Amino acid sequence: MAVSVAAKARDVVGQNVHKVDGPALVCGKPLFTLDMDVPGALVGKILHSPHAHAMIEAIDTSAAEAIPGVACILHFGNVPRIPHTTAGQGWPEPSPYDTVLFDRKVRYVGDRVAAVAATSEEAADEALRKIRVEYKVLPAVLSVDEALAPGAPVIHDEPDAEGIYDAQRNIAAAVDIPVGDVDRALAESPVTAEATCEIPYLQHTPIEPHCVIAYFDEDGRLVIRTSTQVPFHVRRIVARVLALPMSRIRVVKPRIGGGFGAKQEIILEPVAGALALRTGRPVRIAYTREEEFVASRTRHPMRVTVKLGAGRDGTLRAIDMEALSNTGAYGTHSLTVLSNVGSKTLPLYNKARHLRFHGKAVYTNLPVAGAYRGYGATQGYFALEVAMDILAEKLGLDPLELRQRNHIRVGETSPIFEKIGEGREGKAQIVRSCALPECLRIGAERIGWKRNRGRRRREGPWAYGVGMACAMQGSGITGIDMGAATIVMNEDGSFRLLVGATDLGTGSDTVLAQIAAEALGVSVDKVLVYSSDTDFTPFDVGAYASSTTYVSGLAVLKAAEDVRRQILDVAAAALEEAPEDLELSQGAVRSVRSGRAVTLADVGHRATYVVDQHQIAATASCVAPESPPPFAAFFCEVAVDTETGLVRVERFVAVADCGVAIHPKQAEGQLEGAVVQGIGHALYEEMLFSGRGRCVNPSFFDYKIPSALDVPEVEAILVPSEEPTGPFGAKSIAEVGINGPLPAISNAIYDAVGIRLTRAPFTPERVLSALRSRTG
Amino acid sequence: MHTTGLAEIVRPRDLAEAVRLAAEGGEPLAGGTDLFVRLRKGVERPPFLVYIGDLPELRRISVGESKVEIGAAATHAEILASPAAARLPILRLALEAIASPAIRAMGTLGGNLANASPAGDGLIPLYLLGARVNLVGPDGERALAVEEFVLGPGKTALRPGEVIRSLDLPFPEGAPRAYFRKVGRRRALIIAIASLGALLWLRDGTIERARLALGSVAPTVVRPREVEQALVGRPLAPDALADLVEALSAATRPISDLRASAGYRRTVAGRLLLDLACTISPGG
Repeated sequence: MAVSVAAKARDVVGQNVHKVDGPALVCGKPLFTLDMDVPGALVGKILHSPHAHAMIEAIDTSAAEAIPGVACILHFGNVPRIPHTTAGQGWPEPSPYDTVLFDRKVRYVGDRVAAVAATSEEAADEALRKIRVEYKVLPAVLSVDEALAPGAPVIHDEPDAEGIYDAQRNIAAAVDIPVGDVDRALAESPVTAEATCEIPYLQHTPIEPHCVIAYFDEDGRLVIRTSTQVPFHVRRIVARVLALPMSRIRVVKPRIGGGFGAKQEIILEPVAGALALRTGRPVRIAYTREEEFVASRTRHPMRVTVKLGAGRDGTLRAIDMEALSNTGAYGTHSLTVLSNVGSKTLPLYNKARHLRFHGKAVYTNLPVAGAYRGYGATQGYFALEVAMDILAEKLGLDPLELRQRNHIRVGETSPIFEKIGEGREGKAQIVRSCALPECLRIGAERIGWKRNRGRRRREGPWAYGVGMACAMQGSGITGIDMGAATIVMNEDGSFRLLVGATDLGTGSDTVLAQIAAEALGVSVDKVLVYSSDTDFTPFDVGAYASSTTYVSGLAVLKAAEDVRRQILDVAAAALEEAPEDLELSQGAVRSVRSGRAVTLADVGHRATYVVDQHQIAATASCVAPESPPPFAAFFCEVAVDTETGLVRVERFVAVADCGVAIHPKQAEGQLEGAVVQGIGHALYEEMLFSGRGRCVNPSFFDYKIPSALDVPEVEAILVPSEEPTGPFGAKSIAEVGINGPLPAISNAIYDAVGIRLTRAPFTPERVLSALRSRTG
Repeated sequence: MHTTGLAEIVRPRDLAEAVRLAAEGGEPLAGGTDLFVRLRKGVERPPFLVYIGDLPELRRISVGESKVEIGAAATHAEILASPAAARLPILRLALEAIASPAIRAMGTLGGNLANASPAGDGLIPLYLLGARVNLVGPDGERALAVEEFVLGPGKTALRPGEVIRSLDLPFPEGAPRAYFRKVGRRRALIIAIASLGALLWLRDGTIERARLALGSVAPTVVRPREVEQALVGRPLAPDALADLVEALSAATRPISDLRASAGYRRTVAGRLLLDLACTISPGG
């Protein structure tokens, strides 16, 4: 539901219009990557390492190559070695170049050893079985503590890697950012609190796994149709890895079955491209679910410690946050996820003058962590918001009130905005919109905070409690993220909107069409969206960092305003009036002086065929001018079975300020979906590993996510604010919702039974064990 | 991983032909909700499958004077919608806990039994009610008590060529109260970490007779008969049963796996007795 406030009258923005891709999706049209059948396509498959850490002594592909239908086998011995990062990020790339297409060394169970292209699945599978690899097994590093121990095996000892913070000590990235004197401020604070919270290996579990088809167009250019969040970064990185001119590559992103950050990675595209180039034939590759778990990307497992110091009145004086991040075998997103742990959390409580954020991202011989919705903030908020709950108790203060006293407000800033950026310094900014006070008030009311908190209500073995948390995120990456849009007017008065922006099921095509339609005074059906094709749409960094509505949206708005001016010029000539006297709305240009009007179809026809003929069109770009944070307040009620340790979320209320919601239903869906994913983090999800580093639950049979029947009543409430720098007042909504469930549920369990759960997930066994150790 | 080329499926005309095909090595297929998982994993490779899911004689659910007879291929959803479930609350409680609506629409009680998993939710009521398993094979028909039929995890007394025809569920005397609880990380589509089912005969708040069945804590479903005996004569209240928690735990022989440790299973199995005492109100 959306709380209604007196908003500016708008025709399209703020309306729940039909999704532009809705009918085709509902009808099951062939829209997804592998729905397209390219005749003669070979099946690509990947041979994964069975060892966590090993050198390949020898590889013999002769038996595999002899299998009928096997066209090509690639491995370290026949592919050039080009260090790169698989992280689809801006330039200069902040992740280390510690990956090559095929290496002589394998660094986790699931690492890429070889790739096969064959005429059938069966032939490819058989080839994988018949590739003979001799490994020299090396000692494996299976935890961050082992990785940092003196004398630990060095995971990245290759000489050609670049940008690793300290390869000899297995440290991919490190940060240490002090503001003021945090140690002294903590020592002098009359009340302090500390929490250490841990998040395990978690997988994004998009319904559609990574998949790609690479083929050649009539001019022999390589076309890569792929399930990606970052088509332009795919083009850049594939060009590097395959040593092809960028102009020889076209990347097309069709409809996508979810990404959540896992597809902000360039994993299969260069493999498919290399196989296609070597064979001269189209190649398709699709990960199985098992491969998706083990050999795509995961959230960074992390241990975060937060120390808070406050005055007796509850005003925060100091926050020290330390993060120990496990980046797995490769350092993709290692520095930036680590940085985000602090940069997206510490500004929320800007009353604290003394801050320090420090941490390391460490290599291990485990699966590769990467971008995952929340991007470090989720890990940071878990510890920060549990620590806030502990502090409130020590102060004898309502946790709600502690937040109300300390959170950032409109017109305020935090030094962190300037100190921590995308792997380098950030940009100073002030908060121009913040409805968090209202979010807190509404959420507390909906959950019955005053009535239910601290009651320790019991029904048989079930104990009930309520908990809360706050969070913010950003909207794009200031000064780095760039999105561009082209709008072309057709002669019938309709428009083509070409955007590099990437709709991965989020509904961004619809949101961007709404922004264009609003600015051009037409309904959404007059805006034909074509997105994410590096040959036909202008550049956009892609869908990450909660950027699309804000950054790409601003680009669309700028382009639309330019086109609008051109339309008014044509209409002015037609009506023989001054453009200043004209208004564009509801598909026509009207003179406020004479009342005379021309339709957009008239304008299009005139410009195309009649007088002063020209194409009405504009391209505009936007670099994120700021990164306005969306805010959210989370409240939940849990029931804890004191006999079994089972935790049930009874109700969850998430109240968010995403500025003006361009499409409220979709925004609510983002918030609700993020909360459900967060509940999965809190209660169910964890990748488990054998003593030799093999993931033992890489399937939905053994790795459980919330199913439709498990989802509790989730109330997703939007509280509008007007972000002055955003398109029609909008900010982001995609990520902020995942930051709340872990701490809110942990705090609610404490309210119910007095135990602190600090290691996710809160399984029945962990809860029962905590209950028993408390009662002794 | 073997993911393609599932075995051929043969459709018999009647039960007699199904038995003949099973004797030739065909694996009976009803709902397929367990079998297909095993086939896809490649842990089982039968030469062919015999689809018995639509044989009318295997789908009948009949409510008689003293018992309910459920055809082996009746689905959980069909049983839940039938008068049998209304007459046997313990059956309803257990079947409602199975997987999800989609799985309950496909899966069968006969298949759940043939699968012989100690975690099979559908087995709990069979143990509590003292069900008999009617079998038909190349050498004719025979019947076994459910506890004789299930031999271990995935192991049954089925002889080559034998097919489960139906299950006889006798009505218990009087009006016992029914209890079923399964513990798992989430609600739907979950394999129990531990489960407890019970039938309790009460008079004035005191337990006159009790039957208990534990799931997922031993190689088969377990009837802890010593605890059943010890319950007799006690008031149905958590305090009055507290000293039996240990005894119930002691009746288990659990394993550790991905879902939970053996220690947790043992502890929780015992504590479910207290949940039972809280869940069933002695009055109503």
